[in-house]
Amino acid sequence: MTVAPSLLLPVVILWPILLALLCLLPKLGPRMLLALPLAPLPALAAVFLAPRDQTLSVTWVLLDGGLRLTEPGVLFLSGAAVLWFWAGVYALRYMRGDPRARTFALFWMLVLAGNLGVFLAADLASFYVFFALVSLAAYPLVIHDRKPASMRAGAVYIILAVIGETALLAGFMIGAHAAGGTILIDEIRDSLAAPRADPLVLWLMIAGFGIKAGLVPLHVWLPVAHPAAPVPASAVLSGAIVKAGIFGLVTFLPWGSAWPISGTLLALAGFSGLFAAALYGAMQGNPKTVLAYSTVSQMGLLMGVMGAALAAGLSAASVLPAVALYALHHGLAKGALFLGVGVAGKARGVVRGLVIAALAMVALSVAGLPLTAGALTKSAIKGSAGDFGATLIGLSALTSGLLLARFLFTLPKAEKEDRLPGLMVVPMVALAATALALPWSLYAAVTGKAPYGTIDFLALGVSAWPLGLAAVLVIAALGIGLRAPSLPEGDLLGSVARFNARAVAAAQAAASVGGSDKPVETARTWPEIWDGLERLERLINDHAASSVTLILIALGLFAALA
Amino acid sequence: MIHLLPLLLVFLPLVPALISFALPDRMAVWRDAINISFALIKLAVVGFLLLAAREGVITEWRYEFLPGHDFILRLDSIALLFITLSAFLWLIATVYSIAYFGRGPHLARFFGFFNLCVLAATGVAMSGTTITFFLFYELLTLATWPLVVHKGDEKSLRAGRIYLIYTLAGSAAFLAGIVWLKSLVGTIEFTAPPDLSGIPRLELTLIFILCIGGLGVKAALIPFHGWLPEAMAAPAPVSALLHAVAVVKAGAFGIVRMIYDVYGIDTVSELGLGTPLAVLAGATILYGSFRAVMQTDIKKRLAYSTVSQVSYIILGASLIGPFAIIGALVHLVHQGIMKITLFMCAGALDNRMGIKSVADLDGAGRAMPVTMAAFSIGALGMIGVPPTAGFISKWHLGLGGLQSDAPWVIAVLAGSSLLNALYFLPLLYRAWLLPPSAKLASVRELDGAWNRMLILPAAITALATLAAGAFATSPFSPLSWAKLIAESGYLK
Repeated sequence: MTVAPSLLLPVVILWPILLALLCLLPKLGPRMLLALPLAPLPALAAVFLAPRDQTLSVTWVLLDGGLRLTEPGVLFLSGAAVLWFWAGVYALRYMRGDPRARTFALFWMLVLAGNLGVFLAADLASFYVFFALVSLAAYPLVIHDRKPASMRAGAVYIILAVIGETALLAGFMIGAHAAGGTILIDEIRDSLAAPRADPLVLWLMIAGFGIKAGLVPLHVWLPVAHPAAPVPASAVLSGAIVKAGIFGLVTFLPWGSAWPISGTLLALAGFSGLFAAALYGAMQGNPKTVLAYSTVSQMGLLMGVMGAALAAGLSAASVLPAVALYALHHGLAKGALFLGVGVAGKARGVVRGLVIAALAMVALSVAGLPLTAGALTKSAIKGSAGDFGATLIGLSALTSGLLLARFLFTLPKAEKEDRLPGLMVVPMVALAATALALPWSLYAAVTGKAPYGTIDFLALGVSAWPLGLAAVLVIAALGIGLRAPSLPEGDLLGSVARFNARAVAAAQAAASVGGSDKPVETARTWPEIWDGLERLERLINDHAASSVTLILIALGLFAALA
Repeated sequence: MIHLLPLLLVFLPLVPALISFALPDRMAVWRDAINISFALIKLAVVGFLLLAAREGVITEWRYEFLPGHDFILRLDSIALLFITLSAFLWLIATVYSIAYFGRGPHLARFFGFFNLCVLAATGVAMSGTTITFFLFYELLTLATWPLVVHKGDEKSLRAGRIYLIYTLAGSAAFLAGIVWLKSLVGTIEFTAPPDLSGIPRLELTLIFILCIGGLGVKAALIPFHGWLPEAMAAPAPVSALLHAVAVVKAGAFGIVRMIYDVYGIDTVSELGLGTPLAVLAGATILYGSFRAVMQTDIKKRLAYSTVSQVSYIILGASLIGPFAIIGALVHLVHQGIMKITLFMCAGALDNRMGIKSVADLDGAGRAMPVTMAAFSIGALGMIGVPPTAGFISKWHLGLGGLQSDAPWVIAVLAGSSLLNALYFLPLLYRAWLLPPSAKLASVRELDGAWNRMLILPAAITALATLAAGAFATSPFSPLSWAKLIAESGYLK
């Protein structure tokens, strides 16, 4: 049975926006937490009911675009909708009694609408609307607790988000022009695939989407912003929202045409993130920061694969299903792990042991333990990565293993009076179960192959050596009492910030972003030359009559010379 | 009968102007009622004309006031665009002004000149010849001066003096240009560009520089922008009107007329005059944004923002291409509704809570959520965040730049977006996220009719900003009108 797409696809976006508007009503506002799980329900319905690859034209709105559900889009949409649903259930308990519950619900709904909309947009304008909605509306979630560290994380986040948006807009404009002024995404991608297409478009898009997806070195906001948000918001930020960037690359990269240089650069950035972020993250003390680095690392893997595939000119059909499946598994698993941070912080005794065991299973799946769903998605994606890429992905189990072991050891301990609410356990368990099961049932449909035709246990065991090595290292470290060093979160951000400390402080003061209560004197903080500009304009106006005459004479002279 | 409508439309504001001058202050209620009624009547007439124009009726009224000098009022599609904007914003600004000033002194004078100003702006829009245009353009200068100096303090008087020096010098240059041109080719009607082929290139270039230079003063092109930030000494409703529809728009509108109806795009391209003007506009966009970042006074920051944003229109007009001119025309409207929103909010914040500088804004969102929500929408529009109107403008201007082989336009737009974010987002941050100071806590934003009249106009224009962007391709949107104009004569 299929419902007319004209009914369902707009509802996916309009329904959460309607709920967001309801948050504005004074009496209803704080109670809207209860509606959080309702927001992604139309999206879940669309996953099952809406027909694929049929564009619904929407006239009168924006620049006359449309909505449609593509094959990779279905996987992204379903993963995101499931995660948003369970995170919503979790949030309605976790955020209960929060003084800013209303604001939280409002922006939760808006980000959700944008996040799901990105997967449905058929034209540039609506894609850009949804992408911008995700970027800007996520800011209040990042700074929800208003602590100084969160505010700093928010500042880094919003600066990079705005730069990313601008890069995307420039890329979209140039891309649309090159495609003859169309705004349809498919036509723009086709024109990019044509010979002698402008690589600038590609680079702008990679930068714009890369910022969102945590592409090294544009990832600096991610390890500080994701942990700053409340637990359920961290889960959707890391599980669903970064996927908007991945989906952007999936949708816009010109599959089927070879881009050796751009593809190789993207692969390099992606794969270096895969290892560097995992190693750096393994030296973090905050479990949410560890997970954020894991996201950078895993998204690095995805972008590395896409870069390699772009360099080789692989077709969409051979790359995207595996990428989408991998993203689906990562989103659900990462969501479960983030929610687990909150659960572990309230569980004691046997329950805590069970929780950690469940999280360990999910973690092992993400690290790629053979016969887990994670290993399945990894084997699917290796095919697009080239030999070198496949080797790197195999090796990454070592670093991922170390990283996720670190995560398990940093989990918070419960206080005596803490009680574990069922509404927080169920979403974690449900997400973990879905993450571990769903790829198995989708694998055949997505890749066209049966998972593990015959199981060669010996080969599997041999291929698991990096993970085994990780286990040995962890056990050895525990044995000799070695503790991982604790590095500050934000890696490059630290050096960049030191390098630019003066300039940033000056810009913040002048723009009054400082966040301090005392007003900042602007004039002193700007470089001398800009101060001079102010004085110059004043001088001209103080002697307006004579300066205007002077300008006229100058123009006259200029004209006479011309 | 219908050919008298242009005349009616232009001189309609004369009635409330004269009544406002004549009525004593104790009859202020009557003055308010008459002002609002006439604004409504004008909006109704414009609505009627819009419907007529959709069926292709172009109304015109002409009168030979001197031998060889026709006084022509003509309602072509571009005039209608401007007039619809001004009629809508006039109504909004009237309501707002009444609430803003309450029962203060000198209001008879204020509303009198306020109406004359609207009369002049309408006339500028509908002028059918260069000379007619100049008459209304000058009337606008003179009618605005008493508004700028309305407060009567030293700062206002200084602003008024600087305003007059700049604009009168500009007008002199403009007048010299159009008289020179008229002596060469006779009366220039804005129907089809005259045949300029026999005139030496140098002469044409000089005339163009004179005219654009003169008009550029009001449009605040650098280096003639200096008067605009000074004029911030005027009360908020004046700033709102000045920045949205009246003065700066008259300059930008005049430049559009010069390029498309006086010289014609063929001549402008042939003389190679478009690119230098586009570059100057691009420089103004970036310079204005830079200077805005440096301002600590809210209204002054908005003023430099106007310097920057009005040049979007000039940029689009001078690039000469289908998307560019659509971008220019649509931004003429979009910039108006967005900037009037921002200024009305700034005025309301000052009026209700004494907020003047950026640092005072802390927590204002808590005390006046509707005002700050409207302000936020206007600010996001200026940055170009979709789905606001500003995004639609930016999109067309960017593609227009590419169509006209000027890819640097993308860099200008991107740079301006970033700078806009840099000077607007901190305001939103302060207003929404920092704790309010104690004195702000007691404000009740929407209590009583006066307060509602002060706050709701901005809310309406903010919604219009959203609607103009979100429903950009609906039949009566500014974008659809801009496309209609572009297709019906501005492009070949």
